[in-house]
Parts: sequence; C-alpha cells; structure tokens
Amino acid sequence: MVRDFMALAGSSILHRRIRSWLTVIGVFIGITAVVALISIGLGLERTVNDEVAKVFGVDTFLLAPRQMSNSGRSNGLAQYMLDLEWLRTVDGVATAAAVRQRTAFVEGQAGPDGRVTQGFLPVLGLSPELVTSFPAFIGSLELEPGGRLFGEDETLVAVLGKDVATRLHVEVGETIVIAGDGDKPELTLTVIGIVAPTAEPSQQGFTSGISPSGDTIYVPYGTMDLLWGPANDVLTTLVRTEPGRDVDEVAARVQVELRARGSEVTAVTYSDISSAIGTVTSTVSAFLAGIAGISLLVGGVGVMNTMYTSVLERTKEIGIMKAVGAKNSHILSIFLIESGLMGLVGGIVGTLLGLGVSSLASAVIGRIFDVRVAVVVSPSLIVATLAGAFALGAVAGLWPAWRAAKLPVVDALRYE
Amino acid sequence: MKSAMPLLDLRGITKVYPLGKTAVHALRGVDLTIERGEIVAVMGPSGSGKSTLMHILGALDTPTGGVALLDGQPLHELSEHQLATLRGRKVGFVFQTFNLIPTLSAQRNVELPMVFLGAPKRNRAARARDLLIKVGLADRVHHRPNELSGGERQRVAIARALANDPEIILADEPTGNLDSETGATILTLLQSLSTADGKTVVLVTHDPDAACIADRIVRMRDGRVIEEMAHGS
Repeated sequence: MVRDFMALAGSSILHRRIRSWLTVIGVFIGITAVVALISIGLGLERTVNDEVAKVFGVDTFLLAPRQMSNSGRSNGLAQYMLDLEWLRTVDGVATAAAVRQRTAFVEGQAGPDGRVTQGFLPVLGLSPELVTSFPAFIGSLELEPGGRLFGEDETLVAVLGKDVATRLHVEVGETIVIAGDGDKPELTLTVIGIVAPTAEPSQQGFTSGISPSGDTIYVPYGTMDLLWGPANDVLTTLVRTEPGRDVDEVAARVQVELRARGSEVTAVTYSDISSAIGTVTSTVSAFLAGIAGISLLVGGVGVMNTMYTSVLERTKEIGIMKAVGAKNSHILSIFLIESGLMGLVGGIVGTLLGLGVSSLASAVIGRIFDVRVAVVVSPSLIVATLAGAFALGAVAGLWPAWRAAKLPVVDALRYE
Repeated sequence: MKSAMPLLDLRGITKVYPLGKTAVHALRGVDLTIERGEIVAVMGPSGSGKSTLMHILGALDTPTGGVALLDGQPLHELSEHQLATLRGRKVGFVFQTFNLIPTLSAQRNVELPMVFLGAPKRNRAARARDLLIKVGLADRVHHRPNELSGGERQRVAIARALANDPEIILADEPTGNLDSETGATILTLLQSLSTADGKTVVLVTHDPDAACIADRIVRMRDGRVIEEMAHGS
C-alpha cells in the first residue's frame, strides 16, 4: 500500500512540477550549505591530522614547555631543562631527540673589504637523531650542493642558513667562531652545509616553537653542551616509544618523572593533538553548519507552505478519496509521503551539490595554502543528510497533512 | 433472516446544519427503507434535502437524530475508521461532477477504491480494465479525465463505483452535466447494474427521464418524504 501511496504522491508532485521544483530548490540550498560546510570541516580536520601524523607518528610524543599547555599556546620563549641521556634510558623509550636554542656571539670570515663580520645570532642545537629518526620533523632540510648534515658523533661542525652564510662570508669548508658562556671556551666550527633558501624547515612539517630562518645556525646537540653546559634551554623534545608500548602510558610516566627531576614539561601525544584539532574543527564546523541550518529551516517552511496550498487545492480530491474508502490515516500518509519525497529529492540534489562545492573549496583552499586538502565523502553524513531531508519534508508536511486527513468528507466534497 | 432485512433502513432521520447563528433543518424526520436490487429515484426541488439524504445513506455524513441502518448495522455506532471501510466495501458513489482524480488515468481512478482496501496490484489492474471494458471504455484505459468526454468520465466514475463490488450504488444527479443522449446511455448503464448484476441503485435526480428507470420514486420537500410510489403506479 505504501508503494501505491508513493505513486499517488509522486503523480501529484509531477502534476505541479514547477511549484514542486521551487520547493525542492528551497530545501536543497540549505542541504548543500550544510553538507558542504561539514565536508570541508571534515576534510580540513583529516588534512591537519594527516600532517601531524606524518611528522609525529602515532608511536611518538612531544615534550613541550609546561606553559604551552597551560596557556594553550606557546609564548615562543618557553624553554626547559632536560637530561636527554637519562630520558633515553626510561623504560619504554626507544629514542629521543631534542632541540636547544641559544643566542650566541658569532664571528665569520673576512669580507671583500677585509673586515670580519661578527654578531649575535640564534643557534639551534639539533640532536642528530632528528635527522635519522624524525626526518619529517625538520622537513626536507635541503642543503645547497656540496653540503651535508652532521652525523652522530660530530661536534665541531655547523650548518648555516643562507642569509647568515652570506652575511658571515662563509662557504662550505670554511669556519666560524662561536662563543658560549663566559666560562666555556670559544669553539671554531667547520661549516659543512648551507640550507637552500627555499627549503627552510619552517615551510615544512611540524616545528613546535622553532622558527628557523635564513638567520639560524644549526649545530649538533652535543656542541651546545660544550658551549653552554647541560641543557636548560630545550625548546622541544620528540620521544619515540618502543614498538607495542602504550604511548599515553609512557608519556604520562615520562612527564611525572621529568617534573620530579625539575623539568617543566608537558607530554603531548598524537591523540592529544588530534583531539585538540578535532575539538576546534568540529566546533567551527558545528557553528557553520548551524548557520547553514537556518536556510534549511527556511526550506522547511517552504515545504510547509507548498503542502498547505496543496491541501487547499486538493480539498475536493481528499473528499473523493474518502468517499471511495480512504481512511484518515491513508490521507495523512499520502500527504506526508508527498512532502517527505520533496524533502528527499532536495536532500539528494543538495548532497550531490554540497559534495561538489566541498571538493571545489578543498581545491581552492589547497591552492591558496599550498597543501593537499583531503576531500571527505562521509557515508554516515550522506545517510544522515538524506534521512534528515526526508524527515524535514515530512515534519513540515505534518500539519497540512493532518488538516487534510481531518477534513469532513461532505465538506471536502462540496469544496470548489 | 438476513435477506428479509432491508438493505437500507432510515428511521426518523433529522439533520441540522449550523449556519451562523441559525440552524438549517435539512432533514426533518425521514423514514425510508430500500430493498436489495431496487432502483429508487429520490426526487424533489433544490433544498428539499435529497443530497443530504444521499450523504447519510452512503455513510458520508452522520444524522443529527434518528437511526440509519445499512445491512442491519447502525451507522451511528461505527467509528470514522469503520465508516471509511464500510464506504469502501458496500457503497459506490456516482457524482454529478464525476469527481475523478485529475492526475490519474481512467484505470488508476478505477483502482483507487481497491487501493484503500489493500487489494493486490495485479488483481486491481485486471479488475479495473474489466470494469472499463464493461462500461464501454476499452480504448480509454490510459486516458486522464481531461482527455475524456463528459459521458466517458461518468462511465469511468461508474466503473470506479463498482470497483469493490458494492451492494449499493448511490448516484447524485448522474445525468446533470450530460446532454440528453449521453444521459440516456448512462441511465441504461445504471439500470443494467440492477437488472443484470442485482445491485441496489439509489438515484438522486431532477431528471424525469432518470425516474423512468426507477422501480420506486421517493419525492421530498422541505426535508421530508412527501410521497413514495412504485414506478408506473
């Protein structure tokens, strides 16, 4: 019987083709907006998560300065003390790498005018493991031809940013002099590589507070010890756990033990970052979808208006159907199916358009920010949207349909 | 026992419509019995209450007072739902303005009463076609009402009235919108329903020709039956 009612509803919709389409347009504009916004939100979330996972890996956690999590963002200056060697011995830790930052007095080579350039410059101490175990962290740190990155046991070497190399008049194979604390000797470091200008680490990957520029001097982590002693200037530490270990458990234990040793750190796991990203993106998505939902509401009112007019127009038809044996429930069903079908068609068109708009938007956003933005086609979103669109239509049609069902037969038959 | 019982039995039926602050007495105590297989013509001037009477006979409306029995069943005891089922099973309506659904083909219009009784689609389609053939519309099965002439539309309406094989056909001015020649064929068709199929036919009409096919004529005025006479008497 439902199929018969659908056929009756369908013939009525087709009979009033223009009005039905206008109603459907009202619905699908809203659905398009909702589907597009939610899909774009999901796509961005997945993109950010993928990027984080690429750098971070699910077996890795980060030790950020404690302020970072308290204030919710880094102030760019927070640094902490760290015993990296001890950290590597903690149960469950496979490998760890850290980044130290200082400002040092540096002296280069004589320029064309015979004067030696000197100055205060930022120095980043990188664990060699960053290169070997966490390559994505520093991105593809591309060096100019002839250069190389430092190996594990090297100390008296440095890699320079392009700008600093130019200003210090230094090329690969030449030396710079770098001064640390007053009580430590100056060191002469051999320049073994110069970072190609387009491949600065800040352009790639996840840097957590490090903002290297062409002005930065990169030295091995051990060199920092020689210049400034034990680390109390760590910006960030990456820890990879042993295979099969629970990252969250190891991270929590490391955090407790490090704090007990005086390191003001907060362990941040992939799931922490992922859920933080999820919270932000889903809040934004929900807000935008809520705004789009207003247009859905307008679409619903459109359906109600159409159905109300339809009931008035078909009053006599309703009387005829009742005269030939239709029960109130039959009339109610026919009108509900009719309004639900209009909602459903609006939902189908709107979902297709919404997915199209989100792909387009992803491409545009990707081009603007130079990233590949994932296009998410969520089956649950599609099913929920179609069911929601049918329900929207049906709910909007409920009152007109109820009125239609309740019409007294004789009155309906007399209606002209 | 059942066959001795009249098909329709009205006792002291009154119907009052509120009209603003006044009340319109459409029926003022009507007693009427209609036997199975009879053709009864209800005649009278406009406003005499004959259409109201037909609505009550067909369970489209409920009386204000009195008792209406259809096949021994008191209609006032039935719920709206039961009345709808009863209309679907036992009564077929033919209206002056045909009252076909404009969006449906002739066949689908005829199928409609069967749809509401839940008949299987295949049986419905076959029966609808048989009925359309019976009323002489074999070549109009898939036409919509606006593609049919007045006489053809009324035939579709008669086929629809017969869809669920009801015991009684109630026809309200069935020839009112037709020319006399077409009207005559419709009347012949209605008459054959009684003579050939044993249906009970109640005609509400102004048309003296319509009265000619009746076994009995009931005349009404001012909401009362003023005269009942067997045709030819």
